[in-house]
Amino acid sequence: MIGVFSYLVFFACIVLILGVMALGLNLQWGYTGLFNAGIVGFYAIGAYAHAILVTAPRPDLIGNFGLPWIVGIVGAMAASALAAWIVGLATIRLRGDYLAIATFGIATTIQLVTLNWDGLTGGAQGLPAIPRPLSAWFGSPLGFNLFYLGLLIAVVGLVYWALERILRSPWGRVLKAIREDETAAIALGKSARRFRLEAFVLGSTLMGLAGALYVGFIGFVSPFDFLPILTFQIWAMVIVGGSGNNKGALLGALVIWGIWAASGVLIAKLVPPAYAAQGGAVQVILIGLLLVASLLFRPRGLIGEVPVVSRHADD
Amino acid sequence: MRKWIALSAVLVAAAVLAPSDAAAQASCPVKIGGVLPLTGSMGPITKKIAESAQLAVEHINAGGGVKGCPVQFILRDDQGQPTVGVDAAKYLVEVERVQAFTGTISSGVTGPIISSITAPSKVVQISCCSTATPFTLDGRSQGYFFRTLPTSKTQAVATASEMARRGLKRTAIIYVNTDFGQDMTRFVKLALPKLGGDIVAEVPYTDNQPSYRAEVTKALAEKPESLLLIGFPKDAVTIVREWLSLGGTQKIALNNSMRVKDFVDGVGGRFLNESFGMDNAQVAGPTVDAFNKAFEDKYKYDSKGPGVHTQYDAMMVLGLAMNIAKDLTGPSIKDAVRQVHAAGGATVGTGPEEYKKALELIKAGKPIKYHGATGPIEFDANGDVTGPALVWKIVNGEIVTDHVISIDQMQALFKKIDG
Repeated sequence: MIGVFSYLVFFACIVLILGVMALGLNLQWGYTGLFNAGIVGFYAIGAYAHAILVTAPRPDLIGNFGLPWIVGIVGAMAASALAAWIVGLATIRLRGDYLAIATFGIATTIQLVTLNWDGLTGGAQGLPAIPRPLSAWFGSPLGFNLFYLGLLIAVVGLVYWALERILRSPWGRVLKAIREDETAAIALGKSARRFRLEAFVLGSTLMGLAGALYVGFIGFVSPFDFLPILTFQIWAMVIVGGSGNNKGALLGALVIWGIWAASGVLIAKLVPPAYAAQGGAVQVILIGLLLVASLLFRPRGLIGEVPVVSRHADD
Repeated sequence: MRKWIALSAVLVAAAVLAPSDAAAQASCPVKIGGVLPLTGSMGPITKKIAESAQLAVEHINAGGGVKGCPVQFILRDDQGQPTVGVDAAKYLVEVERVQAFTGTISSGVTGPIISSITAPSKVVQISCCSTATPFTLDGRSQGYFFRTLPTSKTQAVATASEMARRGLKRTAIIYVNTDFGQDMTRFVKLALPKLGGDIVAEVPYTDNQPSYRAEVTKALAEKPESLLLIGFPKDAVTIVREWLSLGGTQKIALNNSMRVKDFVDGVGGRFLNESFGMDNAQVAGPTVDAFNKAFEDKYKYDSKGPGVHTQYDAMMVLGLAMNIAKDLTGPSIKDAVRQVHAAGGATVGTGPEEYKKALELIKAGKPIKYHGATGPIEFDANGDVTGPALVWKIVNGEIVTDHVISIDQMQALFKKIDG
């Protein structure tokens, strides 16, 4: 049973990393109504920033500074925040689907830059040998994964707690006001643009953090980690989990990634070996069906939005 | 409703986590795990590769399995997405407890599997198709990663030597911007100047575009006297047509993917009489023919396609190595992989009969030399295979073999280039 436990620890690590991204998107979409379709772009910036900062120097590459893990994490968040701020300045005025198209284009651009700027990112070869924090201390993969799981629980706990705090503050209420009726919010003297930009940068910073946590866990990064499918998966997590609810975003990460992993296992078990080559297609169909079913039966998500927004509302 | 959902979730979880067989504690069957992109952009080419792996497993089982046990092959889909592939590999290694692993195609998926799953868990991994050089060179795999396709270096060095032999000067390189294209270009750049050629332009291109006028114009701006085109046939047809129509030379060097009739007919054979290309010379011989016939008999279509032959060899090497290994732990299997092609061994080929013969030799404690669907398979210190290269040319629209660069000549070339 040690194998099952070991796999579950690994699975939980991936869920928590995806959960950080889902929390970021939930802040942008669930609370502020920003249609960010470029999640994977900010994730990529965080991932590469971390990889370039912490990996040992190599003569053929510009970056690779061999800095400590924590510097990589902070650097990744700073880099994605800066990128989001620049992108936000240019695009945040755009509404709904227009913002989606703009951010989608930017994410594709970022992915192509990582593919083509060989001197910095290693191009299509990727950056191997990214140090995993304290991995030398642990004799077995399970030991390291358990340590990393503890680390991730702490990080996600901190992020969750901080988000809950600020979203129940006046700042969070303005975001909801903008989401519900931007004109009314402006009429009340709030700068919708500023609040939208702040939410966009903060959410994207979390996506960058997730990227750094991911490469620190896996130890390898290449442009193939940042294909648009991942953006779609994070969206599915927020929508299925319940947008506008941080617990929902985390639950969504668990459910969606669970569906993805479990469907593959089920197909491998149920499809006779002779048809294994066709099993992959059935898995994709199964994932689609489960997503549709969950939206039909729980249209507001597994945990919908909670109407109370102020810490003092219950008093 | 809620109870029902919770109950079904628990049942699914239980089903998913239960090992495949009640008898999982016993050593039979021996499990080999596989991860391949059955769906996604690689899906169309992967179907045949997966079938080739299945065929190898059938041959292994018909020929006696591994240490008296049948082999169970558990194949998972990575959908071309690294996170999905890593998760599937982790599941195979931890929950299914596979003793060996094969996969995958995209280097972007193979890389994270090596660094986070197979190397830390000490499970031997053999890939049919991932070409990115760092995997075997940077020590990250700790010797647990092998691949059965010759690396880009063999082909690049052979290409450079043939270009130099033909006296081509002022070469422009147009290459597909993938790990394969980048690697090829890097090694040609390293080799060509040392052999007497020179490079005037390097232009990367993105695949599946309707036109490559911009790239061709950029390459032509340097007034090249020859072209080296590294890519895939569909785009290459477009590029060569535009190249010729804009006044480019007919002295064109090509990579292995262009050794197909579709490419020659697409461009027009009469424009290609001065063109030549490179391929892996191992793709001929009785063991190759035996594989091709077995594949066609089973699936009713031919075995042509990338990765089909190398995937078969990956599986057969695993099967043989697991029989040679004194036990089925990762370190033993890793060492045994190198004895699949032992000095002075008796030659064994493809198919169940040959596999049975190999097992008898192994049981008798005698060395073997595996000649697979791509010819002799011998891994170098890095876990890569090198082999002889073949130069082909196009004569009146037909692809013909020009000459073969033997393995000794290849090694002499490597020495000259690496210094």
